[in-house]
Order: sequence, then C-alpha cells, then structure tokens
Amino acid sequence: MTSFFRKLAWLGRRKQKEAELEEEIRFHLEEDAEERRLSGLSPEGAHREAGRSLGNTAILREDTRAAWGWIWLEQLLQDLRYALRSMLANKTFTALAMLSLALGIGANTAIFSFMDAIMFRSLPVPHPETLVTLGEHLQKASFHGSNRHDVGFKDETGAGAVNGIFPYAAFQLLQQQNTVFSTVFGFQGTGPLHLMMNRHAAMADGEFVSGNYFEGLGVIPAAGRMIATTDDRADSAGVAVISFDWSQTHFGGAENAIGQPISVNNRPFTVIGVTPPEFFGADPGAFPEIFISLHAKMLLGDARGGAGQAADMFENPDIDWVVAMARLRPGVTATQATAATAGPFSTWERSVSARRKREIGAFLARESSGGIDGVRRYYSRPLFILLFLVGLILAIATANIANLLLARSAARKREMAVRLSIGAGRSRIIRQLLTESVLLSSAGGLLGLAFANWGVGFLTLLMGAGNDRFTFRANLNWHVLATTAGLSLATGVLFGLAPAIQATGSDVMPALKDSPNAGSRRRWFGFLNLRRTLIVTQIVLATLVLVTTGLFVRTLSKLESIRLGFNPDNLLTFTIDARKAGHVDPEIFSFYNGLQTKFSSIPGVHSIGLSDEALIDGGTSGGSVGFPGQPIQEWKGSSILTIGPGFLKTMQIPLVEGRDFDEHDGPQTPRSVLINETFARKFFGQENPIDRRLVIRARCPDPIPCGGKRFVDNEVIVIGVSADTRYGRITVDAPPILFLHYMQNSWGPVDAMTYELRWSGREAGVVREVQKIVAEADPRVPVGQVKTQTTLIEGTIQQQVTFARLCTIFAFLALTIACVGLYGTTSYAIERRTNEIGIRMALGAQRGRVMRMILSEVFVLVIVGIAVGLPIARATTRLVASFLYDVKPGDPLAITAAVGTLAAAALVAAYLPSRRASRIDPMITLRHE
Amino acid sequence: MNKPERLDLLQGTLDLLILRTLKSGTSHGQAIAKHIQQTSEDLLQVETGSLYPALHRLEAKGWISASWELSEKGKRARYYRLTALGRKQLGSEQSKWQAFSRAIGLILNSDTEGAQ
Repeated sequence: MTSFFRKLAWLGRRKQKEAELEEEIRFHLEEDAEERRLSGLSPEGAHREAGRSLGNTAILREDTRAAWGWIWLEQLLQDLRYALRSMLANKTFTALAMLSLALGIGANTAIFSFMDAIMFRSLPVPHPETLVTLGEHLQKASFHGSNRHDVGFKDETGAGAVNGIFPYAAFQLLQQQNTVFSTVFGFQGTGPLHLMMNRHAAMADGEFVSGNYFEGLGVIPAAGRMIATTDDRADSAGVAVISFDWSQTHFGGAENAIGQPISVNNRPFTVIGVTPPEFFGADPGAFPEIFISLHAKMLLGDARGGAGQAADMFENPDIDWVVAMARLRPGVTATQATAATAGPFSTWERSVSARRKREIGAFLARESSGGIDGVRRYYSRPLFILLFLVGLILAIATANIANLLLARSAARKREMAVRLSIGAGRSRIIRQLLTESVLLSSAGGLLGLAFANWGVGFLTLLMGAGNDRFTFRANLNWHVLATTAGLSLATGVLFGLAPAIQATGSDVMPALKDSPNAGSRRRWFGFLNLRRTLIVTQIVLATLVLVTTGLFVRTLSKLESIRLGFNPDNLLTFTIDARKAGHVDPEIFSFYNGLQTKFSSIPGVHSIGLSDEALIDGGTSGGSVGFPGQPIQEWKGSSILTIGPGFLKTMQIPLVEGRDFDEHDGPQTPRSVLINETFARKFFGQENPIDRRLVIRARCPDPIPCGGKRFVDNEVIVIGVSADTRYGRITVDAPPILFLHYMQNSWGPVDAMTYELRWSGREAGVVREVQKIVAEADPRVPVGQVKTQTTLIEGTIQQQVTFARLCTIFAFLALTIACVGLYGTTSYAIERRTNEIGIRMALGAQRGRVMRMILSEVFVLVIVGIAVGLPIARATTRLVASFLYDVKPGDPLAITAAVGTLAAAALVAAYLPSRRASRIDPMITLRHE
Repeated sequence: MNKPERLDLLQGTLDLLILRTLKSGTSHGQAIAKHIQQTSEDLLQVETGSLYPALHRLEAKGWISASWELSEKGKRARYYRLTALGRKQLGSEQSKWQAFSRAIGLILNSDTEGAQ
C-alpha cells in the first residue's frame, strides 16, 4: 500500500525523477572513469571502458523507469500521442473512418435506445417484477367486449388467442384468489372525456380504475390521496385523481388541484389527488390525464346508452371489459398462480355459460413488470428488423475500416520493420496499433452519440407520426451509453486486430530493403485475399440492405398510388364533441349546423363537410342492415358513416345516381340514406336502388320507449349512390357503405362530429379561426384532433412509412460506406501497382485497356458480392414480408433497382481511381523505381 | 592479467547483496557495485544495467531510502541507506539464504562422503 502511494507520489514528479536518474548515471560514469584513470588508463580509455561496463543506458533507463511502476501509463501516453499524430497525418482517412463509424454507431445507439425504452423498461412502481397481467387462453381467436387497452392478441399458432378483459363478475371472483395474489386490480380506458375546470374546457383520455388500483401498483401520491375502495361503489360520489402534468397546466401545481371541482362529461367530480410525475398507469401505450373509479361509469352514463347500460356492465356476465392485473404474493410464481386460479375460474365460467356465448377459456397469469405489453408486441418485430439493418451498416463500416487500415498497414510496413529491428516487442507494436484503432473507434463512438441524439429525435417524430398516443421518450441513459462504449471498443479491436497481426507478422529484412515492393511480393496473394474477402463482405451486406430498402420503398409507393376515391390533399379535419359538453337533441343539430355555416365564412375555405368520424383514420363502424319485412341479417360487412350535407362535395366523392343530402333534409323529414356502389351491387344487384327501403338495427338509448328492447329497427329510404372510396384503412378495398344523415338518428344519436375543411392557404391561420368560432359559439366545447387528412392517412400506414424512410437513409449510408471502401482500396491497389502499370504502358498498353483491367478486377469482386448477397437477401427478406403491401419478398423490380444502384455506385467508386491509373506516365514511374 | 572466472548472480540475490552492503552505512550506486565486487574477491560482477533498476525497486518497496549528498570528492551523489523495514527484510533474507546454502552444502558434502 505504501509502495503504491510512493509510486503515485513519484508519478507527480516524473520530470524530476528523470533528471535525477540522469545525474545518477552521469555520476556513476565519472566515478568509474576516475578510478580506471587512477589505475593507469588514459582519460579517453578510462571513459570508454566505464561506458562499456555501464552497458546500454537506454535499456537501463527503461528498466529503472519500470521500477518506478508507471511504465504502462507512460507507454499508453506514448501510444496515444503516437496514435493522435498518425491520425492527424492521415486526415482524409481519419475523417472518413470516423464518419462511417459514427454513422454506424449512431444508428445503432438510436435504435437501441428505442428498444431500451419500449422493450425493456419496467413500470415506474415499486417491485414491478411481482406484477402479472391476468387473461384467458382461447382455442379460437375471437375478441368480444369493449376494450381500449391492447391486451388481446393471437397466440403463436395464430389459431388461438389470449383475451385480456373480463366481465366484472369474473374480476370480483379473481379478487378472491388471495392465496396467490396479494391484490387483484382492474382498469379500463374511458376514451376521450370532456373535462372542464376553472371554466376551461378540454378533451382528454382517462382511466376507470378499481378501488385498489393505486394500492396494488404501489403509487405514492404527489398530492392528496389516491382513489380507495370506498370510492368505487355504485353510490360513491364522483372523485377524480389527475395526472401531475394536468395539475401543472390546469391548476398551477399539484397542491392547488386538491379539492377543486372538475366536470367530467358534464357531471360534477372533485379532484382528490395527483399522481407522481413519472406515473402513466399500467399501459405504456396510453397516457390517461384523469383517473376515476370503475363505478364512475354509472355516473357518466353513455351518450348512446345511458345509465341503464352502465349498470349492465356490472351485472351482465357476458360483457367483457375489465383489464385485470395482480401482485403475486412473495415466493409465488406466475405459473403457480395460473395453476391455483384455473379451477375456480373455469367453475365460474361454467356456471354462467348459459348466458356466455363463447367458449370457456383457460386462465392465464403472465409476468408483466413492464405493464400491459401491447405496445411491446406492436413494436418488437419492427425494432428487431431495424436493429438488424443498422447492425449490417456497422458491420459494413467495420469491414471498411479494417480494409483501409490493412492498406495503410501495408504502407507502414517499413515503419514497423524499423521499429521491430531496433528492439520493439511484437506485443508492444500490436498494442500500439490497437491503441490507434481503439482511439479511432472511440472518437467515432463519441461522434456517433451526437448522431444518436439527433437520430432519437428524428425517430420519435417518425414513429410517432399521426399517433397521439406515441409518448415513448427514448433517452441516452447509462445502459445505452454502456452499449455504445462497448460497440466502439469492440469495433475498434475488431478492425484493428487483423492489420496489427498482419503488420507484425512481416519479415524485417526484405521490408527494410529499398524497394517497397520487394518485401511484400511473397505475401501479395495472401494479403489480397483478406482484403478481397472484406470487400466482397461489404458488397454482400450492402446488397442485403439495398434489397430490403427496395422492398419497403416499393411498398410505400404502392400505398401512395392507391386510388382512395376521394381527394385527401388540402383537407383539414378536427373533432368537436358537443354532446359531452352538455348539448342535447335536437338542439345539438342546430349547434353543429351553425358551426358549419360559420366555418364557411373563413377566408380560404372552399367547402365544409362533417361526419361522425374521419373517412380514413384507422377505424370503421359497422351495423346490421336488412330489407323491410324480412328478418334482419347479422352484420355482414356493412359499414356505416353518419354524415351531413356537404360531405361528399368536400371529399370530392362523385355522386353516381340520385341526389346528395341537402339543407332540406333534417330531423323532421323521412329518414334517408346514401349508399356507395359496392353496397348497391351487394344489396340490389342490377336493380335501381333509388327510393328502395332498408332497415337499420339501432341501439336504443333507453329500453323504455323501445318497449323494453335494447334495439330498435329504423326504416330508411335510399336517395343516392356515391362512387366507392376506401374507408377506415387505405389497404382494404371499399366496403359496402351506408351514409346516414346526422340529424335523423337512424342509427342512434350522434355525439362527436368531425369536420372536414377543404381550404387553401396557411394551415395555422385556418386553425386559429376555427378555434375562435367554436369558442364564441360555446366556450365549453374544445376543438380536438386537428389534423390534415394526409397526416391521418400516414398514421394508418405509419410502420410502412417509417420503414421506407429509415431504410432509404440506411441504404444511403450502406452504399456510401461501401463505396468509400471500394474507392480507398482501389486507389491503394493502383498505387502499389504503379510500376506494373507503368511497364505495361511502356510496352504499349492503351490507356483504355489499363482502365478496363482495373475496373474489371473491381467488378469481379462486386459481382461475386452481389451473387452471394442475393440468395441471402431472398431468404432474409421473408422475415419482413408481413410489413409489405402488394410486394413479394422476391420482387424483381426491387432487386433490379438494388443491384443497379449498387453496381452504378461501385462503378463510380472504382472509375475515379482507375482514371488516375490510366494517366500514369510510364517514364516517371520507371525512373522512380 | 588473467581475469578470474565470474559467477552469474542468482535471481534475487542482488537485492540481498545490496541490503547487506548498505548495512555498514550509506553509499552511492557506484560504490555499492565496487564494494560487492571487491568483497567477493572479484568473483561477483554487478551488472550496472541491473543495479540501478534494483536500487529503485528496493526504494519503491521502502526497504532503502535515498538522498542527495556530497561525496568525499565534493560531488553531488545519490546516497542510499537502509530503512528499518529494510533492516528487518535483510534479517529474514539473510537467514533464508543461510539456511538455503547450508542445505545445499549438506547435500553436496553427504554426496562426497557417500562416494568414499
């Protein structure tokens, strides 16, 4: 220990120690010479003898320094200094190598930080590892009930499925399984809620939660108290817990919010608590701003259903809606909990099977430290594909730098030979070369972090496009940084090792001789083979990336060329929910109609339509339709869209027959409908559908006026036929669509309406005007989901858009890096063969011939690379088949484009240096030799 | 002048010889080398190339300490002296060495007797 500190102290006085040693040696020499002179030698002879007896002072100094104990540090500093110098001496090489590495490492870090955020992050609650999600496994994949959380999914076989929502009665039964679970808590999304606080209105998503939800998750309130079991009863008063963000923006602080009144869908509630800032619920895919009890459903009712419908949710064992999670008791595993609960669960299912229409499932408890795993399932495949692609890019960059280093180390052969011959150990030289490559890769890694930071921002934009719920904040935390550091180090060692071993393996003597070629002649072939392999490898990897890109780009262009049946450009959409703000029939119709009239006065707006949902935003509604006097058919793929006058005109959907809705249609006129061509074909064949009658089965808002029945059959008359359009998603052919009038309640009352504005000019100006008009009409009504129709469409094909855009960037990177490598190695090879070329030209070879010779050599490598790469690409791209649209993994156009681009780029990369070769002056090169 | 045949120093013995030399007082490097050579009747020749690294190593271990003093001829020289720790070390090294050489002697002698 003391020895260690002594050495440390010496480290601080290195200069002085060196000087002292110098003086000590000098003293020794003088003293020795003096004695030898006294014994009769001449002064010069004495000095010579003394020097001889002292031996090699360089080694002596080195050994003594070793005794001081910081030789390693000294050598490291020396290596670093040397490495820096050699990096600066080859600025182009260093810049190219660092840039390609930085791009490779940056892309990997960015993708990995997303994986880290989405795949591996636990819920921010105590002991997330004891959380389980409850569900049941069904033999036949079918999903019932209403659910806003992504907890249902098909199993590995594709035939069966896991259902993640329970009837309330089943949830109560699960809560009794307290031998394996310490708490079983439930929740379900509320959908958009109309909230009003401090006379400010807003729409926000909320969560219905069981009374033990917060206790089960272990949430410590930021202020106030959380919802308790006593708050979750049919007769409990309305209480709400709000998110930390919401408390800041709407109440100016968590403490201020406590005790404040808040209206939820126009019903009075009181804020009792605020969740901590990091808490977002149990589903990483949803960010509720407000939490209310499960039984608050009874207070809120339902615009289409009413309170009676809400009570049914708690009594009817056939309505699945509660998402259930649980805490395992200490020492209990998910498997044990599944086994212990399966019996009681299936007994219950059998007891209610008379009312339950579907099969009896097998109970299943799944480990869920990260909460509901829907988002994880959605993103895991795409993320692994992206990680694979960026992995390829990093591999290309590594091979590329290894190749450039190999070329350079061949050029440094003489330097190495000199160092070896004056006594440097091989391990010492390898260490030094590795220091150089690791320094290079660390610099690349550091620069890569900057790229990654930028890339994460870009990816968030790209992946979240058109998706309000995308709230994953990937950040560069310590495991991401550790991964980057590891990657840099590993690539540095990887691309540094081969050249280092190669360099020290050379023979000293031939390399020292004058001709730089003499020494390497013997090794030329072995040498070239490694380099050729590296080039071919790069081409193979680049082929993989390019073919994949080709497929995704083709997919996107196919998606973009789909005939939608309407014009999505210059179309602004936004949603207004007057129902939840308190408007009722029939006043709500004049409210919506009045807004439509006022919007038309906004400068730049050409026409306005409205519908109960945007034509394309990912979802559709469907209902049961039939002919009067005949038994009504179960839903057979008929989609229903409730619209107002001006919708067809604004969307630019042509009318084929009959007439459009106009201002004369309304609550008092006979119920009328428009149908699209597919509907006409399916229901009326060749007959003229105009003035024909249909029956729509609608939900009854309250069973009393409907004679106690839940449903009522409304007769409607067909007044017109529109051209076909896509509905819901653009990749699905036009379904049969029935267009209803929003004032006629043919399919139950409407609540929220989406307006479509065809406009020209600046978007921001129009949005401001819209908000002003709505605020003047009724300040309680917020304007929500302001988006263009094109953004909505992109949201539905967001994965394909992301893939196509990212892959285009990746392909560009791969191509650039591979071409830089090709250029570098070709020009180096030419430099080495200057003599040969000079002789050929002296003997009469034409310039064109020399160029062809060099180009053909490079092209053999490129062709071999492509030939190896294509079958691999064929095999691996099958993994991305599910993300393609109307394109097969072996798409000839994608492959041709990929190969063509690669070949063209390679040609350019090889052409530039070969042109230089053809300009070689034979006289100069021969004289040089 | 016929030089006597020199003996190579056994690994680790140089440290012992340095410590022993310094037992009789402070000394500088050259004097230590000379002392070892003369005392061993020129049988042991200290390689200067290993003397200085050894001195610095012993100093790092804390067995000897160094200071700059004036030599008899008035020149600045680096003088080494045994520390308390070094003295203890010398004791144990010395007895170890003596035990070792006695053991070797016993074997060698018993061998000669056995042959007679």
